[in-house]
Amino acid sequence: MQAAIWLIILPLLTAFFIGISKVFYSYKLLFPLVTGSAILYLYLLISVIDHSYPPKVYSVGDWGLLGINIMVDPFSGLLLLMIALLFLPVIVFSLKYITFHTHNYFILTYIMTAGIAGMVLTADLFNLYVFLEVSSLSSCALVALKKTNKAIEGTFKYLVMSTLGSFFILLATILTYDLTGTLNMAEISVAFQDIPFQIKSILMAFFIFGYAIKIGLIPLHAWLPDSYEESPIPYNVLSSGLVMKSAVYALIRVLYILFGFDFLDETGMLQIGVVWGVVTFLIAHLLAFQQSNVIRLLAYSSIAQIAYITIGLFVGTERGLIGGNFHILNHAIMKGTLFFVIAIFHYSLTAVDIKDLKGLGFRFPLLSFTFVVASLAIVGLPPFNGFISKWLIVEAALDAGFIYAAFSILVGTFLSLTYYLKVIVTLYTKTDKTIEMKEPGLALKLPTIFLGSLCIVFGIAPSLPLSLIDKIPTFLLDHEEYISILLGG
Amino acid sequence: MELPFVVVTILFCLGIYTIITQKNLIKIVLGFTIVESSLILIFVLVSYQPGGTAPILDKAYHLVVDPIPQALALTSIVIGGSVTAVMLALVIKIQKRYRTLNVDKLRKLKG
Amino acid sequence: MVKKLYKLGLVVSLGMFLFVLFSDIHNLDRTSKNYLSEHYISEGVQETGAINLVTSVLYDYRAFDTLGEATVLLTAATILAFLVPVTKADMLGTTFTIIVYQATKYLIPFIAVLGVYVIMFGHLSPGGGFVGGVVMALIPILLSLTYGIDFSEYKLTPNTKKVVEDIGAIGFILLGLLAVLTGNNFLANGQAGFPLGNAGELISAGLIPYLNVMIGIKVGAGLAIIFNSLMKEQ
Repeated sequence: MQAAIWLIILPLLTAFFIGISKVFYSYKLLFPLVTGSAILYLYLLISVIDHSYPPKVYSVGDWGLLGINIMVDPFSGLLLLMIALLFLPVIVFSLKYITFHTHNYFILTYIMTAGIAGMVLTADLFNLYVFLEVSSLSSCALVALKKTNKAIEGTFKYLVMSTLGSFFILLATILTYDLTGTLNMAEISVAFQDIPFQIKSILMAFFIFGYAIKIGLIPLHAWLPDSYEESPIPYNVLSSGLVMKSAVYALIRVLYILFGFDFLDETGMLQIGVVWGVVTFLIAHLLAFQQSNVIRLLAYSSIAQIAYITIGLFVGTERGLIGGNFHILNHAIMKGTLFFVIAIFHYSLTAVDIKDLKGLGFRFPLLSFTFVVASLAIVGLPPFNGFISKWLIVEAALDAGFIYAAFSILVGTFLSLTYYLKVIVTLYTKTDKTIEMKEPGLALKLPTIFLGSLCIVFGIAPSLPLSLIDKIPTFLLDHEEYISILLGG
Repeated sequence: MELPFVVVTILFCLGIYTIITQKNLIKIVLGFTIVESSLILIFVLVSYQPGGTAPILDKAYHLVVDPIPQALALTSIVIGGSVTAVMLALVIKIQKRYRTLNVDKLRKLKG
Repeated sequence: MVKKLYKLGLVVSLGMFLFVLFSDIHNLDRTSKNYLSEHYISEGVQETGAINLVTSVLYDYRAFDTLGEATVLLTAATILAFLVPVTKADMLGTTFTIIVYQATKYLIPFIAVLGVYVIMFGHLSPGGGFVGGVVMALIPILLSLTYGIDFSEYKLTPNTKKVVEDIGAIGFILLGLLAVLTGNNFLANGQAGFPLGNAGELISAGLIPYLNVMIGIKVGAGLAIIFNSLMKEQ
């Protein structure tokens, strides 16, 4: 399992080498370094995902349980699959799109990816915090890249909120160490069985509050649209696709492995999670409807989609977990496509307001079609991928007795259809204004169409990703198996 | 052993209170450093043992304090310092752009 | 007013929560659960060769955390480097009396020696890469404070510092990869057969002194970048 550690080291090494090459070679080495490492990274990712079942443990420094372990299981395999699908397209897209602070952009992107890979792989609570901080600080940096007033302000907001979240996570982590005397997730989970109910529930509240800020559930969401608005758009693909998802991943890991499913059931956290999700997506849909800026609209839509994922993951049945995890993957693909299309519009004619998009459907027929496909998928219409995962979530909610959640998801679908239709109708409204524009090259179009076509492929053949996702619930609902593998080395 | 916990609790809450009520950006950053130091104090408290010596074993010892929280505290000090530095840079940037440090006056972003 | 009371109420309830939590934890009777720290204390010196147990945790048992933390510092330095404009600050030319200049001149070698000592003896005495790096960073900081940014950046250009920082970070990873070459796991030290030596000597503890040097270089350069960037913003 040597490849697993390379998933973290390789992006870091690349980032550091870009830093050196910036000084000595300026732009000459950038292209081969960035693309070469991205392709190598893709190969490593695929080889790790391929071996994610049965789960494997890799001990950093050969210390076994004394040190830090990293672990690959199907759940982390899913997140790695998302990195594999998004990372190379984003890099190819950015090489053409980013024209300012290019080196810094790539350095920070690679560090962010390393942080996300670390969060996904690690099986150590404090290590999780460290990598969380790596990914969120570099993500803040990317938001500030344009250095406009809005960008600086959005970054400050983002940094304040995410640091506030980190404090609570760190506090809970310290106290967990104090209680159990270890930081290995499996050992903590075993030791937690003797800890009184009250202490455990307060600790859980701290963890949930911390991660809820990073995820952006509704009362804690204010930083998210602001940080999206002025950041480089390819970063938004990674942000909504990976940064938020890695926080969801960490939350689920902590809740299901550390505390265990039975404890969640006992405290009523599952009900709270579902209600929180329902409230979040209803409000987010209503807020998204009011936006005039497409990026902000997509940001609110991201919040809503994350809420669907939350519902799926908190329903607490096997089917709910499958649906939620499938939606994690689908949302990354669909939102990636939408952001890519908007990025191309922004590149060609600096259009980010909905009214600027008028008539673009006839100028960019293929891209606009991709946009339509992705937005219909995100609304949840058949035969696209979003429909299937949403249907799984609704079914799971009905099975588990959350009738109101299932009903609200249908209402939410209708709400999201209205605002996406608004954009689509504007796209295909005829206008006789002639606009100057830059022709987007193949480097911009290819990643977009690749992701857009995945929406259709996963919609028609959902069994491709589901063969991986089907194995996830075994290791979450029953944490004994995860623990025994991690303890067994 | 009770008093340190009271102090830590007060520091933590004071920091959070500063962050959520103050209007001055510098004071907000100060609030973050207060919370940060309270967390480091918790690290120290966790590792503390009455009568223990520092975990440097160059002479005979009979009780040593727990070395792990100290190492973790070092890590979180560095992380906290980096975050504070970035925040201060952003504050300077905001001050240069808007000529104010008041949070209420920066309303470029709404919603 | 209502808003303020509401916030106050929030914070007070948080405080109550925390206090209840702390007293609960305190009242919990704990019986020998800390096998991890006991193992570190009883076996740490033999297993890692470092007398300073904090160093052995930081650079051996949990060296992976240190890599992440070094990355955070590097990220912060990168952000600050691109956030500041190219223009130089007004406070370049604060003039001091000759005493300050001469004192600075004589202080710098001592600071350098102290920094190197703290870094090199990190596994034997209090200190280590982070502390030593901070001490080393004092040199460019002192130069910027007394002689002004221009002089400090003429002596140590930002590019040099950036390269030094990157080299430190790369060096850390490459040292970790040495173990992979010998067929062990990343960042393995004693298990990969690096000679641990006699505990208490300068050249002992396998890779730990070298990792310390790398972190020292990295932290020193990173902090210098951060300080100069914060100062340069005009």
